[in-house]
Amino acid sequence: MANMKLLEALKLAKLANNREGEAFICFLATGLNPLHLTTFLAAELSLLFAERKIEIQQGLYGDLLGNITRLAKADAEVGVVLLEWSDFDARLGIRSSAVCGPAVCNDIIETVNARASEIGFRLKDAAAQMPIVVSFPTLPVLPLSFSPGWQASSFEVELDSIMQAVRKDISQAGQVRILSSRRLDLLSPLKERWDIEADLLSGFPYTISHASGVAALLAQLVRRPEPKKGLITDLDDTLWRGIVGEVGIEGISWHLDHHSQMHAFYQRLLGALSAEGVLLGIASKNEPAVVEAALRRKDLALPASAFFPIEVSWGPKSEAVSRILKNWNVGADSVVFIDDSPLELAEVKASHPEVECIQFATKDGAAIYEVAMRLRDLFGRSAVLNEDTIRAQSIRRSHALADEFETAKSTSEDFLQQVQAEIGLNFDKSPLDPRALELVNKTNQFNLNGKRFTEAAWQNYFRDDSSFLLVASYTDKFGPLGKIAVIAGQHHGKTLDIDAWVMSCRAFSRRIEYHCLEELFTKFDIDEIRLDFAMTERNGPLREFLQNVLGKPPELGCTISKQLFESRSGIVREPHGVGTNG
Amino acid sequence: MDDLEPRLTACFAAVLPELKPAEIAGATAASVAGWDSVATVTLLAVIEEEFGISLAEENPACFESYASILAYLKGSGG
Repeated sequence: MANMKLLEALKLAKLANNREGEAFICFLATGLNPLHLTTFLAAELSLLFAERKIEIQQGLYGDLLGNITRLAKADAEVGVVLLEWSDFDARLGIRSSAVCGPAVCNDIIETVNARASEIGFRLKDAAAQMPIVVSFPTLPVLPLSFSPGWQASSFEVELDSIMQAVRKDISQAGQVRILSSRRLDLLSPLKERWDIEADLLSGFPYTISHASGVAALLAQLVRRPEPKKGLITDLDDTLWRGIVGEVGIEGISWHLDHHSQMHAFYQRLLGALSAEGVLLGIASKNEPAVVEAALRRKDLALPASAFFPIEVSWGPKSEAVSRILKNWNVGADSVVFIDDSPLELAEVKASHPEVECIQFATKDGAAIYEVAMRLRDLFGRSAVLNEDTIRAQSIRRSHALADEFETAKSTSEDFLQQVQAEIGLNFDKSPLDPRALELVNKTNQFNLNGKRFTEAAWQNYFRDDSSFLLVASYTDKFGPLGKIAVIAGQHHGKTLDIDAWVMSCRAFSRRIEYHCLEELFTKFDIDEIRLDFAMTERNGPLREFLQNVLGKPPELGCTISKQLFESRSGIVREPHGVGTNG
Repeated sequence: MDDLEPRLTACFAAVLPELKPAEIAGATAASVAGWDSVATVTLLAVIEEEFGISLAEENPACFESYASILAYLKGSGG
C-alpha cells in the first residue's frame, strides 16, 4: 500500500504490536538511521501478516557491514538490507565534509568497488541463514563529478556498473530477492525521494512518500504473495479485436495495420504465462464451431493448445467459469477472469466473488498495458519450476486418464497397472527442494492441517537431525506429474510424528498417499505414525483418506499404527512401480 | 479550524502511545519519558503531513509541548 501516511503507519504498527499471535521477526540492516522506514515497514508487514505481531530488529547506526553480520546471526525470519550510496563510501553522502575532485572520484570508485564486494560476500553469507530482501541505492548520486547533469558522467556510469555487478552476483545466490528499481521509479519519482533537511538533521534521508514506497515494495518482497494459478479469458474484443460471430474468422484482428496490436500483446502475455505454468481457459459466448475455426488461425501469438478447457456457449459466463474451475480443480481465489464487458464481469463476480475480475479496455492501449502489469503481479513468481511448466499438460492428462478409466471399467489397481504408474520417493533434505515448501504453502485439499511455513521456519525445521522430508513424484504413460506430494516430520524411536503432509489435487485417485505411508513404515521401521491432524475448511479429501485408513473420522492428533495400516489399507498389491531415493 | 485540536491529539496519540488521552493536552518534552529526539522528529513529520505544512525552518522551541504546538498551529492558520 504505497503512499501510506505516517500517522496511519504508526497506528497500524501499534495495532500489530498489540496482537497476541507469534511475532514475525524481521531484521533491518542498514547504515542509515532507518527512522520512519521502520514504522512503514512494520505497518506494511502488519497488513500482510494479519495475525502476527511484527518485530523489526535493527543494528547500529552507520555500521552496515556489522549489521549484515548481526542479521546473519539474528533469530529472524527474514532479513531486509537497505543500501544507500553513503554505505559504499561516506563521501557519497551529504553529511560528508570530504574534499572533492577528479582524483577523489577515482578513489571513491575504488572504495565503492571494494565495499561492494564485501557487502556482496556478507549478503550471500546471510542468505544461507534466512531469506534476504535487498534494496540498492535509490537516491540521486551527488554532483561530485565534472560532467554537467544532463550527461551521464563516467563516475556515475562506473558506480552504476559496480551496483549492477553486485546485484547480478547476489541474485544468483538462493534466497536473495532484490527490490525492482523500475517498479520503485513508478511509485516514487526520483526528484521526490530525498529529504535533504531530514538527512542533515537525523540521518534519515527519505521523504515520507519515498519511505512509504520503499517499505511497501520491501514488504511485498518479504511476503511474496501466493501467485494465482489460472486465467480465464473472453475472446471477442479481448483475445482479439472484433466479434467473430459478426465479422467472421478473417475479420477479427490483432495487428498493427488493423490498429489492434494490443490484442497481440495480450496474446503474447498469455503465451508467456502459459509457458510459466499458468492455466489458461476460455469463457466465450459464441458458436463453438466458429471459435474452433478462429482458434485454428496460424497467426495467433500463442498456440490454441495453451487453452484448456475452452467453454463456448450462449449460457451465463458464471456457469462456464464454474465448469472451468471444476476442470482445473483449483479454488476460485486462485483465478483471474478477464472480459471487456462490465456486465459479464459483474455476472461472474456475483457467482464467484473470490475470482479476481479484470476489465479488458479494448481500445485503450495504456489501460491494457496496466492490465498486463497487474497480471504480472498476480501471477508473478521468483522462479519457474519444472512442475509449473507441466501443470497444464498434466491436467489434460488427468482428464484423459479419467476418460480411459471410465472406458476400461476396471478396478483402480488394475487400471493403475495398465497406465504404468510409477512413484518416486525422495528423502533428500540437503539441499531442500524449493518445490516442497511451495506445495506445503499452496495446497488446500489434501493438507494435514493447513499450516503454512515461512522459508526460514521451513529451513529451521530441517536443521533438527530427527527431521525428515519425503517428496513424492509421479509419472505414468500419459506423462509426468512432477513432484506432487510432501511429508515432513520427525523420527523418534518407533514413532514418526508428521507435521506437514500435502498432495497436489492433480495426483488424487492414484493411491500415492498409501504408498507414502507404507514407505514410511518400512524405511524407518516404526510401529506408529502420529499425525498433527487438524480439520480445515477445505481438507475434505485428506479427511476422507484418513477415514479410510482409520475406519472412523480422524481426530486431532490421531495415530496410525502399522498393524492397523496393514490390516485396512489393502493397497500393497503393487499397482505402481515405486523408487526410493535418499 | 474547529478540528485542529482532535487532529493534533491524534498525532500525539500515534507518536507517544504511552500517553493516556487525558494526559495529552498537558504533555511536554520534559515531562513525558518517551518524548525523545526520535519522537520529536516523528511528531513533527506527522504534524507536517497531517496539516500540510513545513516546520523545517521553525524554531524548535515552538515544538516542546502540546500547548506550544497547538498555539503555533492556531497562529499559522493550520
